[in-house]
Amino acid sequence: MNWPDLSMGGYGFYVWGSYIFALILFVWEIVSLKQRRRALRQQQREQQRSSSVSPSVLTGSANETTS
Amino acid sequence: MNIYKYASPTMFYPLAGKMIPWFAIPAAILFAAGMYVGFFIAPTDFQQGDAYRIIFIHVPAAWMAMFLYVLMAIYAGVGWAFNARLASMMASAIAITGTIFTLLSLVTGALWGKPTWGTYWAWDARMTSTLILLFLYIGFISLQSAIDDTRRADRAGAVLALVGVINVPIIYFSVQWWNTLHQGATIRILGKPTIAPPMLAAMLIMLAACWLYSMAVVLIRVRCIILEREQNASRFAEVNA
Repeated sequence: MNWPDLSMGGYGFYVWGSYIFALILFVWEIVSLKQRRRALRQQQREQQRSSSVSPSVLTGSANETTS
Repeated sequence: MNIYKYASPTMFYPLAGKMIPWFAIPAAILFAAGMYVGFFIAPTDFQQGDAYRIIFIHVPAAWMAMFLYVLMAIYAGVGWAFNARLASMMASAIAITGTIFTLLSLVTGALWGKPTWGTYWAWDARMTSTLILLFLYIGFISLQSAIDDTRRADRAGAVLALVGVINVPIIYFSVQWWNTLHQGATIRILGKPTIAPPMLAAMLIMLAACWLYSMAVVLIRVRCIILEREQNASRFAEVNA
């Protein structure tokens, strides 16, 4: 196994810049999805406490309002 | 077993949850494998030096940008034509991931262009049409978020997505139709690829990783969308009770 030349023959900025940008985008997407999910769970719990109508996703009964 | 029951968002929700690790774990493994082949096994290019290693992320990102757009348009079209709520939700879930890959392909393309062509950006046919793709994705997301009634938002989005599909073959064939700065296809459907085997392998492994990653995040997002819409629905039911 040959360890690659980290300077990328002088192209390090472009090569690592590309992969770091990709990593930033992927991490951002995953983190923002986790936050969105956490916020939804929170809302769901509050809703469950405040009313007897439980969210249908958890109980499995679909209620449709729009068609 | 009736598979059609999974067309219902409430039935699909737990199924999607079970599917996520089956996409996410192989995605992580293939990303690692692709990077390994791309940086440790693939040799330095005799013309472009190591700058060419950007293509291992650039080419898969550009493909995903196009694939996801077509997939989004199909889901949006099915949701519209058959009044299938889950299909419309899938279209909305794909849009953001598609935007991310389009942005990634433009930025990595610019970073490849600077050392190779001497410029970050040129108003070349392929780059311009890819920029239009980015605007189509952003337009789809903004249009949907601007309309409060979800089903109307889905229909409006579907019209935009389907009209925009015309841009995908334009991107794909742009390098043949116009005399562009951007190089031609490296991998052809017919005929031999014009690339060394380890380079091709790294690119294909990264493509598979990007596909699996996309499926995992789209499923996570569609679950959020199902929850959001169901919550709105139950709140609506409460208010109208």
